[in-house]
Amino acid sequence: MTIFHRQRSQGMRFLRGLLLPLVALAGFAFARSSTGDSVLVLLDPSLDRDNFSIFFGDLEKQGYKLTFRSPKEAEPQIIKDDVAQFAHVIVFAPDTKSYAADITPQSLVSLLNKNTNLLLALSTKQTPITSLAAEFSLILPPPGTPLISHFPERDTPATIIPVEPPRAQSLVSSNLAPIWFSGVPQALGNNPMLVPFLKAPPQSFASDGDSDSGSDALVEAAEKGGEGLWAGSQLSLVTGFQTLKNARATWVGGIDMFTDEFFNKEVSKGKQSGNRQFARDVTAWTFQESNVLRIDTVEHHRVNETLPRETYTINDRVTYTAYISKFNPELDLWEPYSNIKDMQLEFTMLDPHIRTALPPVPGEPGKYSVTFRVPDRHGVFKFVVDYKRKGSTYLESTTVVPVVPPRHDEYPRFLSAAWPYYAGAISTSAAFVIFVALWLGGDEREPKKGKGAKAE
Amino acid sequence: MPLAYSLPSNLSPATVTNTSSLLRIIALSLISGAAIASRLFAVINFESIIHEFDPWFNYRATRVLAEKGFYEFWNWFDPTAWYPLGRVVGGTIYPGLMATSGVIYNVLHALHLPVDIRNICVLLAPGFSALTAWSTYMFTKEMKDESAGLLAAAFIGIAPGYISRSVAGSYDNEAIAIFLLMFTFYCWIKALKTGSAFFGTLTALFYFYMVAAWGGYAFITNMIPLHALALVLMGRFSSRLYVAYSSWYAIGTLASMQVPFVGFQPVRTSEHMAALGVFGLLQIVAFAELVRAHVSSKQFQSILYGSVIAIAVLGALAFGGLTYKGWIAPWTGRFYSLWDTGYAKKYIPIIASVSEHQPTAWPSFFMDLQFLIFLFPAGVVLCFRELRDEHVFVIIYAVVASYFAGVMVRLMLTLTPVVCVAAAVAFSSLLDTYLDPAEPAVSEAAALSAEADIAADSPASTSAAGTGAAASGTSKKAKKAASADSSSSGFGSGLAAAFSNKSDKSRGIFGLDTRSLVIANALGMLLFFVLHCTYVTQHIIDDFREAYYWLRQNTPKDAVVMSWWDYGYQIAGMADRPTLVDNNTWNNTHIATVGKAMSSSEEVAYPILRKHDVDYVLVIFGGLIGYSGDDINKFLWMVRIAQGVWPDEIQEPNYFTQKGEYRIDDAAPPAMKNSLMYKMSYYRFADLFGGNQAIDRVRGQQVPKTGPTLDHLEEAFTSENWIVRIYQVKKEDPLGRDLKSANAFEQGKKRKKSKPLVRRKAVV
Repeated sequence: MTIFHRQRSQGMRFLRGLLLPLVALAGFAFARSSTGDSVLVLLDPSLDRDNFSIFFGDLEKQGYKLTFRSPKEAEPQIIKDDVAQFAHVIVFAPDTKSYAADITPQSLVSLLNKNTNLLLALSTKQTPITSLAAEFSLILPPPGTPLISHFPERDTPATIIPVEPPRAQSLVSSNLAPIWFSGVPQALGNNPMLVPFLKAPPQSFASDGDSDSGSDALVEAAEKGGEGLWAGSQLSLVTGFQTLKNARATWVGGIDMFTDEFFNKEVSKGKQSGNRQFARDVTAWTFQESNVLRIDTVEHHRVNETLPRETYTINDRVTYTAYISKFNPELDLWEPYSNIKDMQLEFTMLDPHIRTALPPVPGEPGKYSVTFRVPDRHGVFKFVVDYKRKGSTYLESTTVVPVVPPRHDEYPRFLSAAWPYYAGAISTSAAFVIFVALWLGGDEREPKKGKGAKAE
Repeated sequence: MPLAYSLPSNLSPATVTNTSSLLRIIALSLISGAAIASRLFAVINFESIIHEFDPWFNYRATRVLAEKGFYEFWNWFDPTAWYPLGRVVGGTIYPGLMATSGVIYNVLHALHLPVDIRNICVLLAPGFSALTAWSTYMFTKEMKDESAGLLAAAFIGIAPGYISRSVAGSYDNEAIAIFLLMFTFYCWIKALKTGSAFFGTLTALFYFYMVAAWGGYAFITNMIPLHALALVLMGRFSSRLYVAYSSWYAIGTLASMQVPFVGFQPVRTSEHMAALGVFGLLQIVAFAELVRAHVSSKQFQSILYGSVIAIAVLGALAFGGLTYKGWIAPWTGRFYSLWDTGYAKKYIPIIASVSEHQPTAWPSFFMDLQFLIFLFPAGVVLCFRELRDEHVFVIIYAVVASYFAGVMVRLMLTLTPVVCVAAAVAFSSLLDTYLDPAEPAVSEAAALSAEADIAADSPASTSAAGTGAAASGTSKKAKKAASADSSSSGFGSGLAAAFSNKSDKSRGIFGLDTRSLVIANALGMLLFFVLHCTYVTQHIIDDFREAYYWLRQNTPKDAVVMSWWDYGYQIAGMADRPTLVDNNTWNNTHIATVGKAMSSSEEVAYPILRKHDVDYVLVIFGGLIGYSGDDINKFLWMVRIAQGVWPDEIQEPNYFTQKGEYRIDDAAPPAMKNSLMYKMSYYRFADLFGGNQAIDRVRGQQVPKTGPTLDHLEEAFTSENWIVRIYQVKKEDPLGRDLKSANAFEQGKKRKKSKPLVRRKAVV
């Protein structure tokens, strides 16, 4: 783990030095993903590509290379020889029931495991994609139940809803205009990896029939005490999901919000909807442009030393340092990042023996460091950094290091507590010398007498 | 005086002595050669490789010693053993074996003989068996004479009970310990006989070597005091005993405390208290002797009684008090299990689970010692006839070792030398008697004195007739002739003469026919013994090596492998991967953790596996080819050991059927069927039989047709004969699902529809 980090970081530093001038020359024209530019768009033939011209145009302007494919075509394959062929996959086929052989819920999950990002659109119909949503802890309402809201009063149908964008959320640009939405809401399970982007308005609910007139469903559910009711601001409309391997998947409740029509639709007189910017923000997160962090390298060494030890001795004072970078999509490079205030370091053997804050070092961007005393316990310990926050890349680092007892010559040589033993040894030695001297210099008669006694 | 056969008379005594000593040397070297050669079958048939479990660890430790030097070895902390606790190896082993190999290695390299350390380790045990033969010869020589010594050396050289522990490649502590045991005893007898402080010191030095080499040193620690105590009680206290014992105890104890693993045990544990007590007793007795030399015997009597009682009471009180205060550690569990064979099973299953710690089965006495076991009592009886100090030693040794060998299979090894010695004494007495050419003189005088003889010396007349070791009666003249001649036979006999001391007359063997009959019979027995000893079978099943090399080649260097502790040393040695538990069973809780993981269901076991960073799980399964030492047969021990630590979660009765049977077929209880061990053993086993009824060849039971499924592990490797099966532990699901539903999804199973979570209670 460490070695991997170290090598990568060295490589990156080298590259950074080489590339920085080039990038500066190229200008700041577009943002880039941290994982790659190739995007496969699985677009159902029933959807006209021109209806999404702004959305796709924006993506191409960002520098993504889009490849379009109908879900039923066999080429280009998404996984070839067990290697993912694209860095990102957009699945815009909300009504498609049958796919080519290479696209199954299982293969989409395996794409995520190969660090490919997904953007998936849902609809009110029951499709393979709907069943996949359940694997992401998304709980969808029964088929044919779109989100409906009668507020605010407007001239559009009840299923086309202007949604207030979230405030104070780092993932979406602030001060967005309301966003037009039409589609299915998702109730969220208990999975901590879910990142809701857009919550449903409090007055909205999911109901039978594409065009709701009455409120039968609502009344019925209310009589049951709210059981089985998809309603209210707990529902999510656009939900991100970051897997343990840091691939990102975003579920969009309805594909309409990406259409040119919704992009240009006014929310109030003269005020355009926030859809376009919101779509940009969502794709930026999904394609790992924003909120992408990484641990470049970790170091550990004894205080007053610089190189790491193979092993540490109990009660050593040890300094642990982590270097963390954040991806800058505008410059397409990794920059040191010092804004994490709540990171912790654990020193673990089975259980954490030490859990301490790992604060940024002032004046040294990207460096986080802490010094602590190794516990008085030998064993195989691990330095563990496990920083998981919603929306940003999980930072995980494990460095195994054995902690050993002192060597035979590292114990104190002289103990005052041992004086009785020293005294015993010295006095015995002295007594022996005196005894020998007396024996050799003593009277001859004594031993003779002894001999005589023995003979008896 | 008639002779049964004529002896050459034109030989000078010097020629006879020289020839006999030459023959002795030749015989000894042949015996050594035979001892070494008979242990090399495995190397010749297969290859030079370390066997079994413990030797693998010793070998690994020796490599560290050879490569990094002694101090690194001393401070060696092995982070790959007992992961993640690690093991302070330097302080928890007997380093004698490794140090011996290290010295040999360095000497050979200093002589520019670049011998691989592995070959030294493989061949160390056979080499030391030759030394054992020699030290047994020396020891037995002290008991009787050279001819008995040669016989004893030959016996110990090829006794199966010793061969099985010292074949090439079984690089274990016992390999050198038996030599040290015999040599220490020899030095002790020598010291006792001569009263020399030099030999006492030599005893102490070899005792120290023994302490550094084997935990069984406690046997010496208690044998020598027991002998000394017996001598004192028999009224045989002498300054020789005092000098020998004191120099041994003082130097030996101080030296033994230098071994880090032993440390302060010699003054703190009950096992060593006997030696200390006898040391004290000898001082008192010596002092009493001194006092006796100075005061009148009447006064002495009263002083003696008073002081003996006072000292006994004081000593017992002190011992009890110190034990109570915890200054002296109470007896360890391993020690209790020597007195009560049921103790370990009840309180320390980990000790009882070792097959070596089981009580010995009767047949193994015969298998290990063959006809020596019949000669053994005869030899002991012969020791009673003479009962010099050293014979007392052999008698005590015989009694104590017989008891211990009956309690624990492993201690068979300490019995083997004394059996060889006693049997050699008996056998050589037999040969002496029947090879002695002197025939009894038939005269009236002899007939007359026969009655007197019976009255005066009844033991001589009644003893040991069955063994044919009756004292050969000779006339005084014949005795002289015999003592001059008998050495020329190459089986020099001093004892025959000694025996005949008691009765100056005559009972004996007439003619050559009886002689040849008995001698031929005896030689026949020897021949069968040799045949029996060479009948050594070696099973090497290649599955183990195949699997360990698979681990070595296909897994990352730091991949942690979990298995039952029996295989820990092998995995560490052959696969070079960290293990959770190994054959150095120092941490019961850690072993119980593995036992719990093995005997729980997957859902319970998985967090344990992840917490311990386990990457692979290895099980041994013999059901396909009928290898009975597999994990399912050891499984109940895992359950018992786990139950000892988690009595609420693991209960042994749950693993038996209602009727109390241990079943693996359809009738197996749910706890058994859900256990990780069962699942790993029988995973895909039924598929192998292609629809036919799958049968476990070890248990002889039918395996259910639909085998167990695994969600948290996946099969990584199964060896050719299915003996070793290795499973990889899956990582957490990237989508945060539990692995069971993730697995169901992979298999395309539909998930049950769920409703939104109710976030508030319904208001009704």
